[in-house]
Amino acid sequence: MSARIAPVWFYFRTIAVVLLVWWLVSVLLGRPYLLPGPVAVGTEALELASSGELFNALVVSGERLLGAYSLAVAVGVPLGIAMGRIWFVNDLFDWLIEMVRPISGIAWIPILLVVFGISNAIPISIIFIAAVFPIVLNSQAGARTVEPNLLGAAEVLGASRLRKVFQVIIPAALPSIITGARIAFSVSWMALIVAELVGAPNGVGYAIGFAQELGRATLVLAWIVYIGIFGYLIDVALRRVQTMLTPWAAGLKVGGTT
Amino acid sequence: MKSVGELLRPAIGSVRRRGKPGPLLREVPAIRSALRVVLPITLLVVWYYLTRNQGEDPRVATPPGVVRAFGELWASGDLLIGTLISFQHVMFSFVLAAVSGTAVGMLMGYFRAVDHWLGPLVHSLRPIAPYAWIPMAILWFGIGDAAAMFVITYAAVFPIIVNVTAGVHSIDRNLIDAARVLGASQWMTLRRIVFPGALPGITVGLRLAMGMAWIAVVAAELATGNAGGRGATGGLGQMMFIFYAYEINLNYIVVCIIVVALMALASDRIMQRLQRRLAPWQADGR
Repeated sequence: MSARIAPVWFYFRTIAVVLLVWWLVSVLLGRPYLLPGPVAVGTEALELASSGELFNALVVSGERLLGAYSLAVAVGVPLGIAMGRIWFVNDLFDWLIEMVRPISGIAWIPILLVVFGISNAIPISIIFIAAVFPIVLNSQAGARTVEPNLLGAAEVLGASRLRKVFQVIIPAALPSIITGARIAFSVSWMALIVAELVGAPNGVGYAIGFAQELGRATLVLAWIVYIGIFGYLIDVALRRVQTMLTPWAAGLKVGGTT
Repeated sequence: MKSVGELLRPAIGSVRRRGKPGPLLREVPAIRSALRVVLPITLLVVWYYLTRNQGEDPRVATPPGVVRAFGELWASGDLLIGTLISFQHVMFSFVLAAVSGTAVGMLMGYFRAVDHWLGPLVHSLRPIAPYAWIPMAILWFGIGDAAAMFVITYAAVFPIIVNVTAGVHSIDRNLIDAARVLGASQWMTLRRIVFPGALPGITVGLRLAMGMAWIAVVAAELATGNAGGRGATGGLGQMMFIFYAYEINLNYIVVCIIVVALMALASDRIMQRLQRRLAPWQADGR
């Protein structure tokens, strides 16, 4: 068996066993409102997809995720690079960030609920707060570790400040920036689900909470399956993007800060 | 061959030294400390001035209001109870995740067959946001401790499995082979070679998991609170829910958030210590 096929076969083998055990347990338990069988969940999942419910929820959640995440990148990367390269910018934000960072995005939910009520603003602010810190800290770490000789060489060769930023610092910091951006995206995905579950009038997180209020375990599990699939696809896509943008960093060990 | 940097080093040095004589601003420690407190203090003052005439509105948090709220919550005992309950949720879930995650991670890293069988399951469950399980946890366990701890354990276990597996893979294969050739049993190899060798990975995983647990505890207690209404006995997250939904008071919520953040920070420092002690050769600075 070739090495390429093996993992796929292993994957199906395990999933088949899990589905079998799941089906056996659900039959033996005999309480479909607690543990529906895989067939019922699969049917429900297909129903969600064909009725357009899945698509609608994904569009709503995806817009929030991308919007808030882009905002976090737009703020976090320049701030992180400035902190990594300019000592007084670093000093100015250092303690503030260290004070606010231990407060997780999720912990802001009750405050924002009082301020905004249940609305679109909740998931967007939560995602932004959750995503911005990994991005700032990893950009900062990346900008700090730029080889000084490279900067010196650029300076000697007459590069302007702007050119040094765009042609030396950013490329050198890119592996670290992208690692931060990748961590931030998976954190955002989790923050999105819980923010919508508690504080939004629609979206994937809301849908799964609503299914629970209806007491429909089948529907809850169907949504969980989709959340897993999209979490997985996001992770694969981000790894792809990472190797595409910074192929030279593949062998490099870039430790990310969450 | 010399690199460009090395060739240019003398020239670079002269550019660097071109600076003005005397101590640079950035070399004065007092200036650097002063800069660090500028923003936190400014924000505090701005917050105070913007809210100084709204002290009676429970939907607005004010600095004096937060201090007063802390005193009231402390005096009533709710703060202590809530903190202890949340701490209990986190610790129970963390220990459960640490034991099971380390065991699974070590076996997956060491035995190829275990990796082939369990790997796909782990990699299927891992991308599911832990908070997506909250509704299911409520259906299965009802509102309360069990549901919260299920979600926290779920959030904490995957960073451990992934890092422990990576830690085992980073062990020099020759060490394991040498132990086996010299007659060590599988169990002894696991205990004497694989476990110590994987310690850096284990401690990294445990530290990440502790961070995840303190994030998840708020979400779990908050969301299981939708129908809970158990007050402080449901933990800090539950208290926040009460102060949002029933007795609206933003000052109380801010107190709870600060306490959660301090607990998370303290736990992280302890985990960092542990990391330095158990795997001093690979502990990172932060």
